[in-house]
Amino acid sequence: MSALLRVENLVKHFPIRRHLFGRQTAVVHAVDGLNFELDAGDTMALVGESGCGKSTVGRLVLRLLDATAGKVWFDGEDLMTLAPERMRARRRELQMIFQDPYSSLNPRMTVEQTLAEPLALHGLARGRERERAAELLNLVGLAPQYLQRYPHEFSGGQRQRIGIARALAVEPRLIVCDEPVSALDVSIQAQVVNLLQDLQRRLGLAYVFIAHDLAVVKHIATHVAVMYLGQIVEYADKRSLFAAPRHPYTQALLSAIPIAEPGLKREQILLQGDVPNPIDPPSGCRFRTRCPYARERCAQEVPELRAIEGHSVACHYWQEIMAPQGVVERVVVNERLVRLQSAFRGG
Amino acid sequence: MTALLEVSGLRTSFKLESGGEFAAVDGISFSVEAGRTLGIVGESGCGKSVTSLSIMGLLPKGQGRIAAGSIRFEGRDLATLTPAEMRALRGNRMAMIFQEPMTSLNPAFTIGDQLIEGIRCHRDLSHADARAHAIEMLRRVRIPSPERRIDEYPHKLSGGMRQRVMIAMALSCEPRLLIADEPTTALDVTIQAQVLDLMRTLREETGTAIILITHDLGVIAELADEVVVMYSGLIVERANVERLFALPQHPYTIGLLGSIPQLHLVQDRLNAIEGQVPTPMTEIQGCRFAPRCPFAADRCLQAAPPLVDLGDGHSAACWRAPLEADAEIELVA
Repeated sequence: MSALLRVENLVKHFPIRRHLFGRQTAVVHAVDGLNFELDAGDTMALVGESGCGKSTVGRLVLRLLDATAGKVWFDGEDLMTLAPERMRARRRELQMIFQDPYSSLNPRMTVEQTLAEPLALHGLARGRERERAAELLNLVGLAPQYLQRYPHEFSGGQRQRIGIARALAVEPRLIVCDEPVSALDVSIQAQVVNLLQDLQRRLGLAYVFIAHDLAVVKHIATHVAVMYLGQIVEYADKRSLFAAPRHPYTQALLSAIPIAEPGLKREQILLQGDVPNPIDPPSGCRFRTRCPYARERCAQEVPELRAIEGHSVACHYWQEIMAPQGVVERVVVNERLVRLQSAFRGG
Repeated sequence: MTALLEVSGLRTSFKLESGGEFAAVDGISFSVEAGRTLGIVGESGCGKSVTSLSIMGLLPKGQGRIAAGSIRFEGRDLATLTPAEMRALRGNRMAMIFQEPMTSLNPAFTIGDQLIEGIRCHRDLSHADARAHAIEMLRRVRIPSPERRIDEYPHKLSGGMRQRVMIAMALSCEPRLLIADEPTTALDVTIQAQVLDLMRTLREETGTAIILITHDLGVIAELADEVVVMYSGLIVERANVERLFALPQHPYTIGLLGSIPQLHLVQDRLNAIEGQVPTPMTEIQGCRFAPRCPFAADRCLQAAPPLVDLGDGHSAACWRAPLEADAEIELVA
């Protein structure tokens, strides 16, 4: 079976010009040779820190940005070379959910207008737009009486639900979720994460889930690609990535996350310095300037992303680097707490 | 021993456009001992930042005011201090770092100008000595080549570096109390780890007491000694950090712990707390968490529960505390 989405050697360079009509003086290497696949019903998480290019990938996949090079195969068609009209039709199957629920809804449109617009654009649910809009609200857990309200009357979590309903209006097969919960409060984050999971199960959706929070990713993803300065440094199914991270960057990223358990003893890998400038990325391995294991060869040779038993890693020395303790998972830590928490799931 | 900071019955109100007032913080009490770290955790609108602005005397003039209660710092009631006395204290005996390292530095001045101004405000030092001290502070927060960096403008620094400069600035006069309001929220996780590590080291070296305000329970678990959980302007639970995570008593704390995805736990589904965080303007009779609480009983809807001592320095504001594992969910009509 071929994958729903296949990204091949995707590259995006943003030119920098000193003046409006000046000559190009430099290039930001936002995305530099990306490959991954995603099946229907799966969630591919792109994780990394700010400036790693993860949001750019999301926009390239939907062709909201034009790629410098590479291919994006969606259901057997290369979106990059599709004629505009055909692309517009395809867009129905590709939707996006944005990070900021405050700026991604039009403040002058009621919820009904917001939900009816994509229906009209694609000629769906003709004559029964209101009914369909009510259905969509119901799907995301909002009451139909909200149809006539405006975005400012809703909280952040509710707005994010409206954003999800709008994406679902055209019955997409793939949704790019760009940090969909990072602007929300903790207790509301969980509501939206649960909603995304329920919808995926019910509708068989595929998600490209862009996030910086590895704990959320561990919860929602089936596959994870860790990005650093425009490249994937490690790619694996979720279980294997979290149990045995192999790239030094992934290891550091995992160990940097504060864990909500006081007194928990674990080894922390503290990276020195900041992420280098993507205008002038380091030679060889881009991570080498912060890597505790970097050697001579890392500055000269670019490490390729090599697959070892379904787990890909781009590091010259991954075999020599001691696999640190991955994340040791426990099923139940505190029975009383787990039992009390189950009350929040409702009867 | 008296506490370094003692907040009792603090009520901070803000003006409404309609002419009325609402209490963003509605009668909270806590204390911080010298050298200890108190974590204040809660979601947006719970009043955690207003609490810190009240302590620092930084409430927006004409809009916010301390309507009741007292704040005692080193034995002195801050309400009785003149603005000049307050200025002498602020940035000196007590200091604050903010969430946004991008906006809390002045872009028109070099970081050296800003550091030196703060130091000379409180210390009788020559410009050259203050500069030497500023360089030393930058070195202590591990800014590489501080002699050079001191003459740079904030835009030249990354977010993590700016937050370090803020920390250097806050610690330059060796404050007894440091208030850190979401100090790592705007930072990437590897940079957050660096800054948390730095705060830990500096705390050990200087013995500064810290009030750490955050929404991140992971950060609390890593740094705090005691924790206060706030919800909608009130303290709903208070305990030392081990106890709070092991034996939480307030349903909000319990729900919050269940709603965060955790790296080290197998979680099949997150236990989201249904409903919305109420705005401080919402009139709620009874417990403010009751509308979202699965354990709420009739009583909870009628009267607000007081913060009750449960022993071992642990207190909770819940009619049903202490909650047993088999607590019945009472159906509220």
